[in-house]
Amino acid sequence: MAFHAMGDKYTAAPFWQNGPVPGAFYKFPDVNRNPDVTFSQRSQTPITTATSVLGIVYNGGVAIAADILGSYGSLARFRDCPRVMKVNENIILGAGGDYADFQYLKDIIEQKIIDEECLDDGFTLKPKSLYCWLTRVLYNRRSRFDPFWNNFIVGGIQDGQPFLGTVDKLGTAFEDKHIATGYGAYMALPLLRDAVAAKGDIGLTRDEAKALLVRCLEILFYRDARSFPKYHISTVDIADGVIVEGPLQLQGYE
Amino acid sequence: MFLTRSEYDRGVNTFSPEGRLFQVEYAIEAIKLGSTAIGICTPEGVVLAVEKRITSTLMEPTTIEKIVEVDKHIVLFDQVEYAIEAIKLGSTAIGICTPEGVVLAVEKRITSTLMEPTTIEKIVEVDKHIGCAVSGLMADSRTMVDRARVECQNHWFVYNEKMTVESVAQAVSNLAIQFGDSDDDGSAMSRPFGVAILFAGVDAEKGPQLFHMDPSGTFVQFDAKAIGSGSEGAQQTLQEVYHKSMTLKEALNSALTILKQVMEEKLNSTNVEMVTVTPDRYFHMLSKEEVEEVIKELA
Amino acid sequence: MDLIERNNRFLPDYHTGPKQAYFSPYADNGGSIVAIAGEYYAIIGCDTRLSSGFSIYTREQSKLFPLSKTTILGCSGCWCDTLSLTRALVARLKMYLHEHHKQMSTPAVAQMLSTMLYYKRFFPYYISNILAGLDVDGKGCVYSYDPIGHCERGTYRAGGSAGALLQPLLDNQIGLKNMENVSKEPIPLERALAVLKDVFISAAERDIYTGDSIYINIITKDGIKEEKFVLRKD
Repeated sequence: MAFHAMGDKYTAAPFWQNGPVPGAFYKFPDVNRNPDVTFSQRSQTPITTATSVLGIVYNGGVAIAADILGSYGSLARFRDCPRVMKVNENIILGAGGDYADFQYLKDIIEQKIIDEECLDDGFTLKPKSLYCWLTRVLYNRRSRFDPFWNNFIVGGIQDGQPFLGTVDKLGTAFEDKHIATGYGAYMALPLLRDAVAAKGDIGLTRDEAKALLVRCLEILFYRDARSFPKYHISTVDIADGVIVEGPLQLQGYE
Repeated sequence: MFLTRSEYDRGVNTFSPEGRLFQVEYAIEAIKLGSTAIGICTPEGVVLAVEKRITSTLMEPTTIEKIVEVDKHIVLFDQVEYAIEAIKLGSTAIGICTPEGVVLAVEKRITSTLMEPTTIEKIVEVDKHIGCAVSGLMADSRTMVDRARVECQNHWFVYNEKMTVESVAQAVSNLAIQFGDSDDDGSAMSRPFGVAILFAGVDAEKGPQLFHMDPSGTFVQFDAKAIGSGSEGAQQTLQEVYHKSMTLKEALNSALTILKQVMEEKLNSTNVEMVTVTPDRYFHMLSKEEVEEVIKELA
Repeated sequence: MDLIERNNRFLPDYHTGPKQAYFSPYADNGGSIVAIAGEYYAIIGCDTRLSSGFSIYTREQSKLFPLSKTTILGCSGCWCDTLSLTRALVARLKMYLHEHHKQMSTPAVAQMLSTMLYYKRFFPYYISNILAGLDVDGKGCVYSYDPIGHCERGTYRAGGSAGALLQPLLDNQIGLKNMENVSKEPIPLERALAVLKDVFISAAERDIYTGDSIYINIITKDGIKEEKFVLRKD
């Protein structure tokens, strides 16, 4: 074996070269000889990233909050990256992960809304429709090994009921009364669950929900090195429609 | 406008010098020939009502689905009618559906004594439980039978169950209407198939069934049906002799009696082909001896 | 394997360079499915925990998908694949209904699912599927699958993250394996339900991907009945 290992041209080729090894398929010589040429690398890594997004359902509405930092690795690179958007009169959308991917999808979604508006048929996009559409878009991209590196949280009102759902970069999607992505899943979600459980059937008011999200952002700011004390918070409810506030400042961290 | 045929009335993509699309207007005329359909929209919903033309008492009315019937076969309307004429030149085939099973019988035209009669195959097996008799251009029928066989096997492959006779007819119909102007779904055929088919089979749920399909792709279920050159006389006789509680044996006898009446040559065991499709034996082609036995009973 | 490794250095065909995985299209979202079929019924249960690693996404996610009046599919594994597969399945069922003018039978759904999974042989749906329902004769049946479409019919099956934990238990309690002096009578519905709940309680004790609560669907000729049952939530 030692001679073969040298692999020089004076050494005879090993017996039964390219032949089927037990348990393996025969491979034709000179097919895919240079795998580097045929190999295409499409899977990206996120570049400018945003951290956790938080969402919660309260009585008659949904609240979503996220800070506005765009990180470049560990560098706090961009300090004004709003990522909670109003989609239409009854949908709000929060995004985490790659900021460029979010901006790209944001443009597409905004165009969708404009197209819908142009039809002028009295119909508007519904939260569950946007949520389902995002699921398909993200799943299709992951299937092409070219994912949108994002976590989305969709909030809205459909048929008089609050809706809160999330989609990740694989197209994994689910609905719940409280959702947190990124580090929020570890640090904020237990707090959200406790708060909702403590209220039981009574549910939270809008102010309570907003205060809770702000408190969670503050706690995340203690420990998440990619977080920031400036944030946007948005609510959508039956009474007042969509409200997006921000950038706001966490008290005491100016 | 329909008296003067011009080169402008052949395709939907050519305007006449007066700026008219004749094919579209023909299509509108074609609808006037069709059965009446009414739609009413109310605040509570929409009502659709359609007239069904039951041209024969042996027809199964439920298989006339008028709410699905609009497609390319309107476009080349007269070509379809010519194709239907083509079948009237074909050899006669008879199908009779009984509670015990379905009988198919066809005449074979032996045009020369030097011909080998067994190589004329007018009744073929599509799947174990479905057979079909064809009349018209035999070469065209090969393509359609092939499609029927492929669809049956594909259905078994995907669903692990026997394809129903109606679904086979539907699948072949989809092939039959792919003539006319080509569009997105690939190149089109230049003319309709000049074939009429009788599909005979047994379904797991609905039992023995007989379907007839013409070159327009229209398929309808029948209790008994004759196609080919002798079909008009044969259909009339079928109307008289058919009854719902017919046995398989009676059906074999009547099918052969009628064939005997409409055939130009003298009927014998080499110039007819007979098949039964029954729930326990599925597709079974009668051997020469078995046919002779039926003939003996006729006499 | 050793032979391939040693030859690697000079046989370019077998060369497998270092691969750096930045992105995996799959996730393990856990969850367990158990199905038991009897003479005239079939029951199928799933836990409601959807998780990834050590974090629980939600405690309220059903993994059962009613496909028709007599057929229910249970899925666990990669949730994004589950969402896609079940949507495709529902669409295929509708197309079948329109094409053939009848509801698809459970064995037909079972075969179609197998072909659908195998069509993605080289980029599989990473799902452990269990299909429960009544066959054309009204008898209970359970079909279980591997992710690339191998399919087998049986009368009971556990799948998903606690599948390997639960199957031996079902072998013993439902299949009556390794039992002496037992009469192999059909399992009554009440017994099947009790065993199903018990095995999920056991799974929740040992498997971190199974817990929160279970949904049970009972399929009989009269339709589908749903039940919910609470498990430990830690």
